[in-house]
Amino acid sequence: MDPQLTEVSQLFERFKAACVREDVDTGSNLLSKLKVMLTGFRSLPPLFEDTPNAIHELTLARDIYEHAVLLSVKIGDQDAFERDFFQLKPYYTDASGRLPPSSQEYMILGLNLLRLLVQNRIAEFHTELELLSPTALENPCIKHAVELEQSFMEGAYNRVLSAKQTVPYKTYDYFMDLLAKTVRDEIAGCSEKAYDYLSISDARQTLLFSSDDELLQYINEEHPEWEIKNGVVIFQKAKESAPCKEIPSLQLINQTLSYARELERIV
Amino acid sequence: MTEDVEMKELPAPSNSATSSSPSTLNHLKEIASLIETGAYAREVRRIVRAVRLTMALRRKLKAQVLCAFLNFALSPGSEPHNRLAAHLPKEDEHEMEFDTATSVSQSPVKHPLPELEIYCYLLVLIYLIDQKKYSEAKACSSASVARLKNLNRRTVDVLASRLYFYYSLSYELTGDLAEIRGNLLALHRIATLRHDELGQETLLNLLLRNYLHYNLYDQAEKLRSKAPRFEAHSNQQFCRYLFYLGKIRTIQLEYTDAKESLLQAARKAPVAALGFRVQCNKWAIIVRLLLGEIPERTVFMQKGMENALRPYFELTNAVRIGDLELFKSVAEKFSTTFSSDRTHNLIVRLRHNVIRTGLRNISISYSRISLADVAKKLRLDTANPVADAESIVAKAIRDGAIDATIDHANGWMVSKETGDIYSTNEPQIAFNSRIAFCLNMHNDAVRALRFPPNSHKEKESAEKRRERQQQEQELAKHIAEEDDDEF
Repeated sequence: MDPQLTEVSQLFERFKAACVREDVDTGSNLLSKLKVMLTGFRSLPPLFEDTPNAIHELTLARDIYEHAVLLSVKIGDQDAFERDFFQLKPYYTDASGRLPPSSQEYMILGLNLLRLLVQNRIAEFHTELELLSPTALENPCIKHAVELEQSFMEGAYNRVLSAKQTVPYKTYDYFMDLLAKTVRDEIAGCSEKAYDYLSISDARQTLLFSSDDELLQYINEEHPEWEIKNGVVIFQKAKESAPCKEIPSLQLINQTLSYARELERIV
Repeated sequence: MTEDVEMKELPAPSNSATSSSPSTLNHLKEIASLIETGAYAREVRRIVRAVRLTMALRRKLKAQVLCAFLNFALSPGSEPHNRLAAHLPKEDEHEMEFDTATSVSQSPVKHPLPELEIYCYLLVLIYLIDQKKYSEAKACSSASVARLKNLNRRTVDVLASRLYFYYSLSYELTGDLAEIRGNLLALHRIATLRHDELGQETLLNLLLRNYLHYNLYDQAEKLRSKAPRFEAHSNQQFCRYLFYLGKIRTIQLEYTDAKESLLQAARKAPVAALGFRVQCNKWAIIVRLLLGEIPERTVFMQKGMENALRPYFELTNAVRIGDLELFKSVAEKFSTTFSSDRTHNLIVRLRHNVIRTGLRNISISYSRISLADVAKKLRLDTANPVADAESIVAKAIRDGAIDATIDHANGWMVSKETGDIYSTNEPQIAFNSRIAFCLNMHNDAVRALRFPPNSHKEKESAEKRRERQQQEQELAKHIAEEDDDEF
């Protein structure tokens, strides 16, 4: 086992160096090699055998997967993130009794929560939240994600966007950018219904664009039904009032006939 | 007949101290004979009755009685007997010896039926759990489960499902539930193979309980969706299943399904199961709050539940008023209750509902109100209340909770007039749904009518028919005469 272990450790060091250098291609190659070598260890999930080097191997494998997760964030590959996170999860839950706690555990958990929020998988977000102990909930990374979800639900989108400034780690930036885009779409939808019209400067402020041109471009692409007149964005065209509403006569006739039929059945 | 003879002779030599136990012992022996007949005739009903009778005797079980019963049912010195007797505490050696002496001399050696053996396991297990000897109960239940794996008889199924329940209970009370998860899964597989539906139901519920104990909602849902479903055999198991299903659905944000399941579970539960109904009601109240409806006061005033539901009553009050400060203070005041009920995360989700209700009240009461005032009334304690209030109001409008528009330049919210609802089709639609429901109920009731089976056999004999016709004619004549007389 020992020579295998040392080989994996060396490869892992090279992988870490590649990540620090931001060399994603080398990093990905090394990562795939590392994963293949990890299958040789029998102490890892799902086998969890008790080999003499078990603790060492488990810690090593956990570190490898943590770096894999961070690499996938750098690349921006959400599927890879999900896969690596699922492989990492047993180390946190089942093996947590045997290993010393990882320093990056809460950061990665927070990242996962954020990812679920961005992908709008709120049910899974809450299921994951249930699994966390009360001490975990006090951690700033997790708290950040939870408060973000609350603001999102309530509709206080400005809080969501201002939370972008208070990210605990730089790695969160990727997801925060995606979130900003989702939030912008939501704000546009809400403003459509809530306001009759907005001046260009106000619209720019609420939708958080830095210039008028961006705003106009956004409107042209996403919301062509909004009209722009005299420096004012009009959301809904004045609807002509429907003259007289049609009585749904067919439906009423059917209903009344069924009443008559049922009443006749009553002896 | 030999059994009757034994029962009469045994009470005589026993001491006065054990005067109460003979009647319990007699009951137990009657139950044992019931099980025997049931096993020989392969009638599961008798075994079900036997189990029910045992539950009634639960409080009166004592170590001596159990020892005596074990000696009666299983021949002493046989292997099952030794195994079981090892679990019982050795109290009062004299009494035991006396009883064993008498019973050994009188009871013939019999081959213990597997059903009887399992029944003895069940009795010992119930006794140990009631005496709070949990680690011994654990050992006993593990032994019984190992024994059960070899048996494959339908008549044992009823007893087996009870045993599984106590097996899981003994592990839960010692805090080791995770250990038996693999065993329970294997047992469920075996039960499915043997088409043991009651066992499947019980084991599925035990597994769900196991997962939910550790908050593994994801895995619980995966198991539940893949497990085979069929008509419920036992009302209690069905209630439990509905409760667990409701809990899973609540966490997954499917509140309508959750409400239905939880309310059904609370209704179907037997009146004696107060703790269970309290739990169902607690979760049902929260789900209704999350759906936006306020439960009525009568829900909190049900008999025996007032104290337990008190925190939830105050919570409902806070949500109804729409006051964030009150909500926060109530949540903090009862936080220990909520964490022990595991509803803490759900309460956090309620904040959003509080704001919505408050906003709705404001929009109905004011035709026009500035956003700063809205923020003040909602008691939003954030860095930038006016901007927050504006976004919250915009989202509420988009979701259809309130009917209003925002005037950004002047910074106020203008509520729209709610039109006359009677001039729309709404009342017609509401009436239609109610009428349809009543008519369906009537049709179902007619279809469910049962007539006594022999009513059609009574045919009128010719004589009786003639008599009846004569009477009818006379009556008709009478009425006709009366009419004439009326003038």
